[in-house]
Amino acid sequence: MENLTIDETKYTPKINLNMEDGLIELKGKSYPENTFEFYKPMMDWVESYFSGCEQAKTIINFEIIYFNSSSSKLFFDFFDLIEEVVNKGKYIEINWIYDAENDSALEAGEDFKEDFEKLNFKLVEK
Amino acid sequence: MDITKLEDFLDDSGIVFLSYGGILSQDLISNMTEALEKEAEVNNVSLSASTNIFTIFVELSQNMMNYSKSKNEANEEFDPKGLVLVGYNKEDNSYYVLSRNVLDTTDKDKMLPKLEEIKSMSRDEIKKKYRELRRSGLDKHNKGAGIGFLEISKRCDNIDFKFTKISENKYQFMFQANILIKKK
Repeated sequence: MENLTIDETKYTPKINLNMEDGLIELKGKSYPENTFEFYKPMMDWVESYFSGCEQAKTIINFEIIYFNSSSSKLFFDFFDLIEEVVNKGKYIEINWIYDAENDSALEAGEDFKEDFEKLNFKLVEK
Repeated sequence: MDITKLEDFLDDSGIVFLSYGGILSQDLISNMTEALEKEAEVNNVSLSASTNIFTIFVELSQNMMNYSKSKNEANEEFDPKGLVLVGYNKEDNSYYVLSRNVLDTTDKDKMLPKLEEIKSMSRDEIKKKYRELRRSGLDKHNKGAGIGFLEISKRCDNIDFKFTKISENKYQFMFQANILIKKK
């Protein structure tokens, strides 16, 4: 399968999906006009990756400065999918990266961490 | 027209910027968000408070944008003259985001009880409800005072709203979120 990179825009994050490195990265803001449409290529890639193309260890770096409520729901679905994969015995590490001064981003990370207790979900201060 | 009068009024009301009339587009929203980012930077607003202001602004303006779009697509009669503004209140050092647009009575009937419920909830209750709703996977398309208004309420100090009847089946909907700026 091919790697997938989507450039950052004013309202969507940079997305870097790299099979060889076992890396899934999102960085920037997230309030697309149509959230589900925008993230569909990423969700499709992630599904294909975990259907046999995955590395022994996968790292997910999430560095989202702020996001709208439909992105919040999309991220929830994303972590839900990751949890399913983890339940099948795959090793995945999630880093929720936030600025030390941004309590809102930290709080959002804490909520996801609590919602997905089974995940190896780390809150990483920048 | 006397533009100075308008300027004086905007200055006195602490209005940072506003958009009135026309249909909001994603580009317009993101340009306004950028302007807002600069404003927050110049005024030394903490990253935490500014993130909340941006999120609320985006949420309210995208709500209005999506509402106009759905009306357009359904070919329904619709008054796109919406107002969204961000202002600063120096008396209590707070920012406010305000939106105002015209809704059908059926939409008002759906929203009113939900907004009243949110307004009566404590911060912890709002957070709990937000996560429950997100987990349920319901409200997928963010219509009718669902998770979007919970997102807003989670990120501000208080909300205010008002529905004003303007005709048999239309209401003017006003919504305001106030964000207190804590001293650094």
